[in-house]
Amino acid sequence: MTAETIIQSLASGLLMGLLYGLIAAGLALIFGLMDVVNFAHGEFLMIAMYATFFLFAFFALDPLLAAPLVAASLFVLGAMVYLLVVRFAMRAKANAGMVQIFSTFGLAIVMRGLAQYFFTPDYRSVTHSWLGGKTVSVAGVFLPEPQLVGALVSIAAFAALYFFIHRTDFGRALEATREDAGAVALVGIDKNRVFALGWGLGAALVGLAGAIMATFFYIYPDVGASFALIAYVTVALGGFGSVFGAFAGGIIVGLVEAATALALPPSLKSIGIYAVYLLVVFIRPRGLFGSI
Amino acid sequence: MLSVRDVTTAYRGLVAISGVSIEVAKGEIVCVAGANGAGKSTLLKSIAGAERPRGGSVTFDGVRIDGLAQHLITAHGIAFVPENRRLFPRLSVRDNLRLGSYLHRGAADREAPLRLVFELFPRLSERLAQRAETLSGGEQQMLAISRALMTRPRLLMLDEPSQGIMPKLVDEIFAAVKRIRDAGMTVLIVEQRMAECLDIADRAYILQTGRVLMQDTAAAIKVDPDVRKAYLGL
Repeated sequence: MTAETIIQSLASGLLMGLLYGLIAAGLALIFGLMDVVNFAHGEFLMIAMYATFFLFAFFALDPLLAAPLVAASLFVLGAMVYLLVVRFAMRAKANAGMVQIFSTFGLAIVMRGLAQYFFTPDYRSVTHSWLGGKTVSVAGVFLPEPQLVGALVSIAAFAALYFFIHRTDFGRALEATREDAGAVALVGIDKNRVFALGWGLGAALVGLAGAIMATFFYIYPDVGASFALIAYVTVALGGFGSVFGAFAGGIIVGLVEAATALALPPSLKSIGIYAVYLLVVFIRPRGLFGSI
Repeated sequence: MLSVRDVTTAYRGLVAISGVSIEVAKGEIVCVAGANGAGKSTLLKSIAGAERPRGGSVTFDGVRIDGLAQHLITAHGIAFVPENRRLFPRLSVRDNLRLGSYLHRGAADREAPLRLVFELFPRLSERLAQRAETLSGGEQQMLAISRALMTRPRLLMLDEPSQGIMPKLVDEIFAAVKRIRDAGMTVLIVEQRMAECLDIADRAYILQTGRVLMQDTAAAIKVDPDVRKAYLGL
C-alpha cells in the first residue's frame, strides 16, 4: 500500500462522508425538533433518486438541474408526511414512542411497496449526466466528479442551513420549538406549522442528496435501506438531534469506511463504521456533539 | 374588554373551575386571588387557550376566542405568562425577546416595545447575550414578562409572577405591573400573595374550589373582615 493509495482513498472517503452528512442532516433535524425518528428517511432518499431518474428519462433534465426541483418536491412530501401521518401519530395517548416508530416504519414499507409496484424492482440508472463517470485530478489525486460536486453541495447546504437557523425568524422559531414546543404558542407561533416546515426541510435536504446520488448509484426500491442505516449511525455518532453533528458524523463515517476498505477485504468494508459507532456509544452515548 | 362567562374547565374529568364569570375593563389591573387549587391558573389557561373550556364563553374585544388555538389567541392581543414561565432556556435573552416579536417580524418598528422593557427591567439589557437558563429566578420572570410585552398585547395575563423569587425582586415586579398598565395595557394577574396584589389592583376576584367566592374593588376586599381573617392572616 503506497501513500498515494491511502491519500486517494481517504479523499474519496471524505467526499462520500460529506454526502453521508447531507443524507443524515434531515434525520437529525427532525429528531432534534420533535424527538421523532423518521424510519422512512431512506425511502425519502429513494423517492428523490427516482424523481431525478424520471426527470432525466422523460425530460432529459440533468440531475444537477433537477436537484432544486427534487428538493422542492421532497419538501412538499416531507411536510405532507408530517401533516397526514406523524401529526396524528403524535396524538397517541399511550405508548406514543411506539406509535411514532410504527407509523414511520409502516410508511417506509408502504413507500417501498408502492415503488416496487409502480417503478418495478428493476435497477435503473442515469446513464449519462454532466457529472457521471468523470473525474478530476487535484494534485495527483483523482476525484470522481459526482462525489466532488455532492460534497460541495453538502457544504453549501449546511452553510445555508446554518444561516437559516441562526439568522432568520423561521430558524429561530425552529430552535424555540425544539426547546419547548408547548411554549411557542405564547409568542404566537403555530407549532404544527414549524413541525411541517421541519419535516419539509429535512426531506428537502435528503432530496438534494438523492439527486446527486442518482448520478453514480443504481436506483431501485430498496436503495434507501443501506443508506438509511448509515444515516442512523451518522446521526448517533454526531449526537442525536444535532444537525451540525451530522455534518461531522458524516465525515467520520466516510473516512472510517474508506480506511476499513483499505485494511480489510471489500466485503467487510462496513465493519469499521459500526465498530466506531459501538465505541462511541460505549464511551460517549450522547454522541460526539450531542448536548443532552 | 375581556368577558369570561360561565366557564367550566376540567382536567381528565376533574372539574377545576366551574361556572366562573369575570369581567376585565380596559386599563384595569384585576387580581384573581385564592388558595392553592382554587382554579386560578386554570382560569388563565382557559382564557389563553392552553386549556379548552368545556362550557361557557370567553369574549375579547367583542370577539369570541374560546376554542381558538392558543397561538391565535396570542395573535389576538392576549399575552400569557404562565406559572413556570416557559422561556426557551438554551436560547439567549436576546433571542427570547426577538421571538416575542415574532408576530410583528415584518414591521419596521418590531423592536419598539424594547424601550419599555429596558425601562422596566434595566438589568435585562446587560444580560442579552446570556442563555435564559443562566438567569436568576427573578430575572427569568422579568424576561418572561418582557417576552410577553414584545408580542404587543392589549391584555397581559400573569400567573403567580412572585413565585420562587426573592422579596426585593417581587416588589420590582409588582411595580413593573403598574407601569405596564400606565403604558396603556390591561393586566389580569393571579397571585397567592394577596396583600401585594391588592395594593396594585383596581378590582379583585376571590376563587374558592373552582368558583367565584367574592368580587369587589381591591380597596373593599382589602378591608373585608372575612378576607382579612381567611386570606390575609390578620
